[in-house]
Amino acid sequence: MSEVKLYTLEKRHLDEVLSQWNRKVPVYVPHGKGKDINLIPLEDAERTEDYINLTLPVKEMVFEQKEKLFSWERNNEGDITVETLAHHHAGDRIFYGVRACDTYGIAYTDRFYLKEFMDPNYQSRRAKSTIVAVNCLRAGEHCFCTSIGTGVFSTQGHDLTLTPMDDFYLVEAATDKGHGLIEGAIDFFIPADKALLEKQEELRQQVAESFPLKMDLSNLWDDMARTFDADFWIDEANACIGCTGCTNVCPTCTCFNVVEENQDENHGTRVRYWDSCQSDHFTRNAEHHNPRDALSRVRYRIYDKLKYIEERFGYKGCSGCGRCADVCPTYISIIDIMNAMQKTVKENPTEPALHQVAKIRHEIVDREINTRRGLYAPDVATITKIKQETPEIIRMFMKYDDQTLHDNYQHKGQFFQVTVFGEGEVPLSIPFGPSQKDEIVLDFKNVGSVTELLYQMKEGDKVGLRGPYGKAYPYESLKGRNLIFVGSGVAMAPLRTVLEPVLENLHDFGRVAIMASALTYEKIIYKEEMKEWSQLEDVEVHYSLKDPTDQVEAHLGFVNDLLPGLSMDWKNTTALVCASPARIKKVARDLMNLGMKPSDIFVTLETHMRCGAGKCGHCKVGSHYMCVDGPVFTYEEMLSLPPEY
Amino acid sequence: MNDISDAELIMVIGSNTTEQHPLASTRIFEALEKGAELYVIDPRMIRLTDFSHGHAIIEPGTNLPMINAMIHVIIEENLMDEEFIRNRTENFEEMKASVVDCTPEWAEAITHVPADTIRLFARKYATTDKAMILFTMGVTQQTTGVKSIRALGNLAMLTGHVGRPSTGINPLRGQNNVQGAGDMATLPDYLPGYQRPEWPETKDRFTKAWGDISCLRGNTIIDMFNLMEEGKMKAAIIVGENPVLSDPDQLHTMHCLEKIPFLVVQDIFMTETSQYADVILPAASFLERDGTYTNTDRRVQLIRKVIEPVGNCRPDWWIINELMKRIGMDVDYKSPSEIMDEINETTNIYGGITHERIQEVGLQWPCPTKDHPGTPILHVGEFIRGKGLFTVNDFERIGDQRSEEFPFFLTTGRVTHQYHTGTMTRKVWTLDREYPHGFVEINTKDAEDLGIKMHQEVRITSARGSITAPAMVTDRIKEKTVFVPFHFAESPANRLTGQNLDPIIKIPALKVSAVRIEVAQ
Repeated sequence: MSEVKLYTLEKRHLDEVLSQWNRKVPVYVPHGKGKDINLIPLEDAERTEDYINLTLPVKEMVFEQKEKLFSWERNNEGDITVETLAHHHAGDRIFYGVRACDTYGIAYTDRFYLKEFMDPNYQSRRAKSTIVAVNCLRAGEHCFCTSIGTGVFSTQGHDLTLTPMDDFYLVEAATDKGHGLIEGAIDFFIPADKALLEKQEELRQQVAESFPLKMDLSNLWDDMARTFDADFWIDEANACIGCTGCTNVCPTCTCFNVVEENQDENHGTRVRYWDSCQSDHFTRNAEHHNPRDALSRVRYRIYDKLKYIEERFGYKGCSGCGRCADVCPTYISIIDIMNAMQKTVKENPTEPALHQVAKIRHEIVDREINTRRGLYAPDVATITKIKQETPEIIRMFMKYDDQTLHDNYQHKGQFFQVTVFGEGEVPLSIPFGPSQKDEIVLDFKNVGSVTELLYQMKEGDKVGLRGPYGKAYPYESLKGRNLIFVGSGVAMAPLRTVLEPVLENLHDFGRVAIMASALTYEKIIYKEEMKEWSQLEDVEVHYSLKDPTDQVEAHLGFVNDLLPGLSMDWKNTTALVCASPARIKKVARDLMNLGMKPSDIFVTLETHMRCGAGKCGHCKVGSHYMCVDGPVFTYEEMLSLPPEY
Repeated sequence: MNDISDAELIMVIGSNTTEQHPLASTRIFEALEKGAELYVIDPRMIRLTDFSHGHAIIEPGTNLPMINAMIHVIIEENLMDEEFIRNRTENFEEMKASVVDCTPEWAEAITHVPADTIRLFARKYATTDKAMILFTMGVTQQTTGVKSIRALGNLAMLTGHVGRPSTGINPLRGQNNVQGAGDMATLPDYLPGYQRPEWPETKDRFTKAWGDISCLRGNTIIDMFNLMEEGKMKAAIIVGENPVLSDPDQLHTMHCLEKIPFLVVQDIFMTETSQYADVILPAASFLERDGTYTNTDRRVQLIRKVIEPVGNCRPDWWIINELMKRIGMDVDYKSPSEIMDEINETTNIYGGITHERIQEVGLQWPCPTKDHPGTPILHVGEFIRGKGLFTVNDFERIGDQRSEEFPFFLTTGRVTHQYHTGTMTRKVWTLDREYPHGFVEINTKDAEDLGIKMHQEVRITSARGSITAPAMVTDRIKEKTVFVPFHFAESPANRLTGQNLDPIIKIPALKVSAVRIEVAQ
């Protein structure tokens, strides 16, 4: 950032300045009437100054409604090549006339997309965008940036700001790009005295004073913690028809869905579209399970905007532009909801919800992976061997086509994103240990459209891999402790990531108990390995089944029944549990009754992960992304999440 | 539409407004914010009922007795607008005599709506100044459809709720241009602008404009399919319609389409119906053509081409123009604006609506001359026919009834994220994802009795046919009543519906079919 220098620009010279800029780089200016204001290239637009705000935030220019992520092609030999498209984007552009709420939005989306797993699409467009803010002198019906604290004049996210004063603009350059603009039309910019800043501040206060909406939000988070279960949410939820208008117009909405668009069976493109947490299917999975019902869906957006984003990233998640209240066809208004929170707390005080006061800050920089292709393009791998683990579960072995990927492979994380070209991508756990360097192995069940095709694949077929992603079980911190592994059916696969290195280094650990469960013995995975592992010193394997078997000695019933009989030194024991959230809670409850601490119970929450890198938003629970902050959590952490997983 | 926002009472009958007319429902919410009261008549706990001041959970097919009983209460309790009746209507006494026996208790036995609820609805509607009625297919697609609309007319005239802002009985149109299509006489017994072919002036006008054949009476769509079956109709052109999913008795429809010797289908995408076509004419979408749409409030609005037609597709007007030319007619329309010139000349209510005048904002018909400002409210001061006519609408049961074999009533409808037969919306991932397949809504108690669990595949069977769909077990539907949306080819609701027709205008009773439900094997 260069030093802020002040200039003035006479209003009568503005059009000349814009056209001078436009000779080098296309300038987009506000065009339209009333509430229909769009950024249009200068040549095609009749520029307007009579507008409160742009219909859509300038974000739409850097994070487009539809973007290509990569294209792929299969040749006659069956080889697949992947071409990342992230850099095939528009050239330099200047966006003129952006309001403070939207420049703030850009400041946040820069933080969101450019740090921790940098988004290559956003980065390439953003690097070529110059943003010129024009400060507001009046407020719209639902403007409340002054209450939120993001306005009324632009403070970040812009390259240049213009404040209209008398017959000139006060001009401030915030970045090198902004200085470049001034130099590009230097004859019109007159260096100004710092004294003008005082006049600007007076003006700012006048404008802020003129806002029809003024709210005291100093207790907002406390109010939110106390109204998570308030009755007014029922009315809000009943009203929402899931049109997703609110998220489409939001300057801080970043979620997307990934869709395959195939030219034919050998050529396809993976694209992403804006997606919305306000659509019912955003979190619904194939078996109808949906961690968010209508009420928690409507509530989630409000909490995300007013709290979760700021908790997580340190930026306001709501810039106070009021567009969502403007567009809602059933009059759901974030402003009314904030008022309802304050009113409810005043009239009917309740204790804050525990999951709204817990403070957990996740640092994920160390888990970033750098691929040469950018975040979203997979690496091609070839299937080398397939083993039928159970009647429903396959163990699939594969090698990267590019051997250097094996050479540089770092065993970290908890899952891969596996692409079936033309169909889609699924997250699959990593059921092997770090000593296995020359092969990737995946265990999976045929449950959805992608796994169905994967299930039918043969040796020699190609898949795409991204990863590994996610926070793994903390191997190092387990040393010296007794370990209990609890996994039901295919859920033993995610545990094998840490189970293998433990078994290879048993001298570092105390007793190791492996608790395998399934409906029938047939459905137990790793049958042979289990038998081998049970022979190791200090390792015991216990089975719990619903149906009897003569293959092994098994308890008929739930795994919980076996826990007391393990007679562990519970204080020095760590449990690693992989099961449904409901089963996790039952196992954890029993373990704690036996004397274990919730911080010594590790669980995985694999809800609806898509991009794997904390970008698409589908797996977010509270301020946490299951894909990067998890999927492994301690039970203590799990309890501090809102109950929406 | 502003009239809805300003209403003090809104009675919604047979319309799931939030799901099917979300923008009209926005106006209802606006009215509610301003303190209006909302009364809903529907067999389902539709979303509006979460915000309503009264909900009549009505037995499907019994709107008419409910309305007649409301009229009975208003007369009995002397809540009428006598001045309005005296000055602006006729035939009141006959109508009055016809509802003498329609007590709320009589209606309760038929409609299952408590008599006191009927009284409440009647009193509230009669005593609120700005009270309006909104309705859709839940009223019309029944064997008593016409009578029910006429009865609503009686109700509105009885209380003087006509011809003033925020009153009237208002049909919400189900398509962007269904009003316009009706205005342009895609109806068997009208010429454009609701002119009767038997009126001498109309006959002269159109014989001059279009020739001798212009005043021949057409057939209803139901009759047309029957003519196909009888072998009398040899060729058909189906334009922008998917009758395989949208018409009643799907198996019959498919049988007729198989039978007809020559079928042309004109649409923007392939449909279930175009599978039967000998020739498919690719039409241009709304983005690829100029023209007008006439909205639910009779407003004629201009649409403009945004992109050139993709591939070989052409605007519908162009295709029809070419067809006419090729069968030897002496026509050559150059643009929609030129067609509008002819509409101006032949159709009084559209007389003054030219493309030039509607560049910015549309005009509401009647708009007879080029300097007429359009007509936001109909029947102000005087009805179009002069005096408002009270009608006698006796209730009789026609069509499907519950029986031992078919103990449930099926009613059909739509969901927010799909449109009609899904020819467009099912191709959009974000809409299709919300409702990827059909379902059958069934009451929790009925489901328990039948051993049906949430999401379980169930079979629904009527006298016409049988479909399967996953169960949506809910308390938001009346007992012994099930609901199936008709968007989905995999669970086609209209395989179950039948040709029970309203005897007057032959609209099929899509909203009432007797069915049985069982777990699918």
